[in-house]
Amino acid sequence: MTVESSRFGRVEIDPDRIVEFPDGLIGLGGSRYALLASDEKSPFLWLHSLEDPELALPVTDPARFFPSFQVELADEDAERLGLDDVTAVAIYVTVRAAESLEDFSANLKAPILVWNGQGHQVINQASDSSLRAPLFAPESTAPAGGAA
Amino acid sequence: MLRITRRAGERVMLGDNVIVEVMEIRGQTVRLGIDAPRSVPVYREEIWLEVKRENEEAARAAGAALPDVSDRLKPSS
Repeated sequence: MTVESSRFGRVEIDPDRIVEFPDGLIGLGGSRYALLASDEKSPFLWLHSLEDPELALPVTDPARFFPSFQVELADEDAERLGLDDVTAVAIYVTVRAAESLEDFSANLKAPILVWNGQGHQVINQASDSSLRAPLFAPESTAPAGGAA
Repeated sequence: MLRITRRAGERVMLGDNVIVEVMEIRGQTVRLGIDAPRSVPVYREEIWLEVKRENEEAARAAGAALPDVSDRLKPSS
């Protein structure tokens, strides 16, 4: 299928990349999105609405930047979503872009879980999950992604 | 806004499927129990608000081009 995008024009979408969000994104709504890669080498993907040509959020795999990142679900969320420890779930976090890389941040507090073509944005109960975690350390020090 | 006075142990129905119970009142704190269908996520308002704002900012802040950051990443393993 194709989707109209205010950013990318008409885009061909692989049906495998479509994600249904039964509850939408928190505060944003929308029920159908697709994960688009604008550049295969980039760590960033776009979670692009299939309903609103202007609505797209950059997302990334948190493991690329935060090696110790973990999602802890409240019991009622795990139960509500029907998740157990063995379900294979892809995890993304939204990225807030900025003028300089040092100001890029990721929302570790509300990761997006995707499995079986379905997506849910959840509240991460892990105590160190920041709403605005810097993605890149200042240039003078080691990159955040390289931290052990 | 609808205002309803309830005592501890009393409940409010939101439609037929959502039950909110005042479980305990202690000083300035009220403990609520919420019984909702699986399809209804429940959030504390302040967390819902900050995530909503962060989602809006993520959607607003990025134009079509995101920077090439390949030299700032560790090699993916």
